[in-house]
Amino acid sequence: MRRQIPALASLLVVAAVLCVLPFVLSDYNVSLAAQVGIFFVAVLGLNILTGYTGQISIGHGAFMAIGGYTTAVMSRDHHTNLVVTMLMAFAICFVVGLIVGLPALRLSGVYLALVTFALALSIPQIPLQYSTFLGGVGGVQSTETVSNLWIYTAAWTCSAILFVLAWLLLRGRLGRAFRAVRDSEIAAVASGVELPVYKTLAFGISAAYAGVAGSLFVLATNGFAQPSEFDLFLSLELLIGAAVAGLGSLWGVLAGAAFVGLLPQVSTSVPLIGAQHGRDVVFGAAVILVMLLLPDGFAGLLARIRRLARA
Amino acid sequence: MSAETSAIAGLRARGWAVDPGAVTVALVLLGAAIFLLIGCLRSATFAQYTVQGIALGSVYGALALALVLVYRATHVINFAQGELAMLTTYIAYELMLKGLSYWAAFAATLAIAFVLGTLLQVTVIRPVQHSVIAVVIVTVGLFILIDGIVNWIWGGDFKSMPSPFGIDSFNVGGVVISHLYVGMVIVVLASVVLVWALFRFTKLGLGMRAAALRPAAAALVGVRVDSMLAIGWGLAAVLGAVAGLMAEPSQIFLSPTLMQPILVYAFAAAVLGGLESPVGALVGGIAIGVSLTLIVGYVPQNYIGTELQLPLAFAVLLLILLVKPAGLFGRREVRRV
Amino acid sequence: MPVNRKKLAALVVAVLATTAVAGSAAASHTGTPGVTKSQIVIGGTFPYTGPAALYKTIPAAEQAYYAYVNAKGGVHHRKIVDKTLDDSYNPAQTVPSVKQLVEQDHVFAIVGSLGTAPGLSTWDYLNKRHVPQVLLATGDAYWGNCVHHKCQGSTKPWTMGWQPDYPGEAKLYAKYILKHKPNAKIGVLYQDDAYGKNYLAGLKTGLGSHTSQIVDAQSYSVTDSGPVIGSHVVHIAKSGADVFVIFATPSAAITALVVEGQIPGWNPLTFNNNVSANRIFMQLAASKGANVNGVLSTTYVASQTAQPNLPGMKLAKKIIHKYAPGGVGSLDQQFASGDNNLVYGLAVGWTFVDALRHSGQNPTRKSLMRALRSMNETNNPFIYPGMVVKTSKKRTFPMEQLIFEKWAGGAAGDWKTSGKILNSGH
Repeated sequence: MRRQIPALASLLVVAAVLCVLPFVLSDYNVSLAAQVGIFFVAVLGLNILTGYTGQISIGHGAFMAIGGYTTAVMSRDHHTNLVVTMLMAFAICFVVGLIVGLPALRLSGVYLALVTFALALSIPQIPLQYSTFLGGVGGVQSTETVSNLWIYTAAWTCSAILFVLAWLLLRGRLGRAFRAVRDSEIAAVASGVELPVYKTLAFGISAAYAGVAGSLFVLATNGFAQPSEFDLFLSLELLIGAAVAGLGSLWGVLAGAAFVGLLPQVSTSVPLIGAQHGRDVVFGAAVILVMLLLPDGFAGLLARIRRLARA
Repeated sequence: MSAETSAIAGLRARGWAVDPGAVTVALVLLGAAIFLLIGCLRSATFAQYTVQGIALGSVYGALALALVLVYRATHVINFAQGELAMLTTYIAYELMLKGLSYWAAFAATLAIAFVLGTLLQVTVIRPVQHSVIAVVIVTVGLFILIDGIVNWIWGGDFKSMPSPFGIDSFNVGGVVISHLYVGMVIVVLASVVLVWALFRFTKLGLGMRAAALRPAAAALVGVRVDSMLAIGWGLAAVLGAVAGLMAEPSQIFLSPTLMQPILVYAFAAAVLGGLESPVGALVGGIAIGVSLTLIVGYVPQNYIGTELQLPLAFAVLLLILLVKPAGLFGRREVRRV
Repeated sequence: MPVNRKKLAALVVAVLATTAVAGSAAASHTGTPGVTKSQIVIGGTFPYTGPAALYKTIPAAEQAYYAYVNAKGGVHHRKIVDKTLDDSYNPAQTVPSVKQLVEQDHVFAIVGSLGTAPGLSTWDYLNKRHVPQVLLATGDAYWGNCVHHKCQGSTKPWTMGWQPDYPGEAKLYAKYILKHKPNAKIGVLYQDDAYGKNYLAGLKTGLGSHTSQIVDAQSYSVTDSGPVIGSHVVHIAKSGADVFVIFATPSAAITALVVEGQIPGWNPLTFNNNVSANRIFMQLAASKGANVNGVLSTTYVASQTAQPNLPGMKLAKKIIHKYAPGGVGSLDQQFASGDNNLVYGLAVGWTFVDALRHSGQNPTRKSLMRALRSMNETNNPFIYPGMVVKTSKKRTFPMEQLIFEKWAGGAAGDWKTSGKILNSGH
């Protein structure tokens, strides 16, 4: 209980700040804060997969694409309520994640990473072939578009709900099983953990989270879903976010989401390099620096601080 | 002590071994080779496509080989391998502008690539090499950074580089084979053979193999493991530079996006061939090069449009990996508890 | 050691927080966004990097022109500030860049942005907010067709193109083929996006009942490597086509021309769409073995190398020399070798300033659009002599004229216009 009080306090602080922010920030900065929220959801999901079960995926941009297109197409064709489309994205991506998770069982480490990489490149190509239904290269425009504030509220509400969901899942048997898988698959099997079930489940859950993030992402892009929005860079950003976050800390995920959500936007206004090249040079250098200084991500840093504080 | 020395002796004997259990794979490859040969004999167009596929595939294979080298040494995939290759190609471009002849610049670039590769390993990889995910992210950051730097310094437009092999072609029984394609294959093969010889016949090579396979044991017998890993990265950068320099003429012009499509094919080739297998990387690269050229040439666009190529390639890759999870030439890792 | 890292972490968080708060402290604008007593701030997205980076001289020329105008006092006593961002021809980057320009930099208008797909990804957003999206550097027919008719669910009255539209240009090629080579077998290479499909559709419309004469239409993707594009060209050659139409952006078009030159025995009548017909592109292709002599295209701006003595071209030379964004003289070499994008940029800048001058003493977004929709430019010194830039309630395409040109002189040669100014309009 004692350990839970500081955690609860930090949660309340975050929630309070999030409620106050829309009133202090300009509309443009609200849209930036919404971006952070969207990445928070996706990075949280990826953290469950990579951090807890040790499976590296460079393809979660593909699940964001599926979620995003679900929202755009349902809104365009059936005028479905946007929140309902997000629930649909969650469900569809969960199933697809399970399907992807099954063959993933046979692949380890790097092979899995590279296959998910291929997934990230391939899935966005599919709308190009089926252009009547999926809009082709012209994309799909949802009927409803929403304000920055709507996206901000939706993104952070989803973040809160999905964070609680993750916390509930991970504190019990599922979390122990996940951690066992990550630490040693052989030992896990030896102690009776059903490897395929948990590994596949982790894929499904992380994919579902990415799907919701994808819906929000498309809504933030003016309700417009297009293949080039879900390029390799997006999947890489998710992975970077998860790595910068590190494992096992809310603040970590927040830091990771803020890093990939804000830094590319902010670095366009770097003086010497100029608006045209600033983003790549500054962001690339920042990624390297952060990893060199904090190889275990922000969570690792915080853990080290806590250990020092206790000592 | 004797167990370790005998392990190293075993390495000496085996060199770069191919999995003995790959008879099926060998048969499949033999079948494919026969199919290609028959096709080439029957149709000049088929032959031209095959030659082009082999040439392009050798470039994919060279980059895949660089990836495999790095993976064998440090157990990570270097995402920035392609961009590094592109950067070294731009360096060659600058040297040629300053007046060096093509081959002088080529040699100088390989040397610079080696230094760059080792430098990168020492400065940004070594500090985080205990954490796989940290190294992966650092290479991703390098990918983005190098791309940004090249665009910033040279700009994103086209640069013209002198062509090392001219624009003439051989005419072999009605089949037009450009000097360029022949040159590409020869240069790549020569580089690969040289690196192979380094590994197989020199003490340095032995040290590198030992450091990759059994670092603790190698350290015990006096191998400087850290240096070996850095040299591994340097050699990988050299292979990447070769890939970049040979890719440039086939893309006609030099631009920052030179290696991006090639990196994808190289990944596929490395995975296909098995990440631990240099032979596999080369064979995988050529297989991908030939398949791609034949498909673009023969399959009508309304059946498989350009848009479906990538998902199809992914599906094929996945199928192969389901049957042989460690790649065609790879060995299933036996994990001892 | 750990203490330093803790400090670093705190510093990083502080920086991020400060950025967020500082951004919010931006002055809120009452009145017209982007217009102050001394400045008019406009913005645009361009491919400074990526597959279309060969176009980056267009925004440079536009900025040079605004600098020239500013040096003479500006417009309505206000200096024009043009904030351009790189979107790498990628609509996914265009959207956040445009949002930044509109919501953070509060630009008056989006002017000159390049790319059809990038434009389509933001036109809904801009039209909903009543932000002018004008003088787009793309010839998509949407920009003119959707002013009064609904496209993708709504009309887009705040969007406007400038250059002659792609289908119009393609129709002229079709008419030329039917007139000069009536039994031609046509092979087409086109980009598989809105831009390329627009062109192909126009060609088919122009061919009418003769569409079956297209024996091979090969699409390629902007991210395809050189050899893949080359394979498509080889495919077209194998189909027996004796007319080759290239609807491709510069890097792919150059590759296509080079590969065409490498195929022995194939000498089709070749059309190159004017977006890739810039002199320096043709010279690049020729330097690698393309057969450029006899290639046809169309143009609507004057050429600094083919018509150097026109007063407009002399003025262009002066402006590019003195006001190039990278410093005096930094684009001279580029200008002298015939980069026609520089003239294009000056021409667009001229049109914008002309419209701005007619937007009243204190321009608003509405007054700008009114001025742009009632233009009658006969004296733009940078467009092809004799052509006009004209708009009205009915005429939503500013430029509807083209003239044919043919390349002569090999690798050191140039375009030579021939025939009359043709109507490419509706």
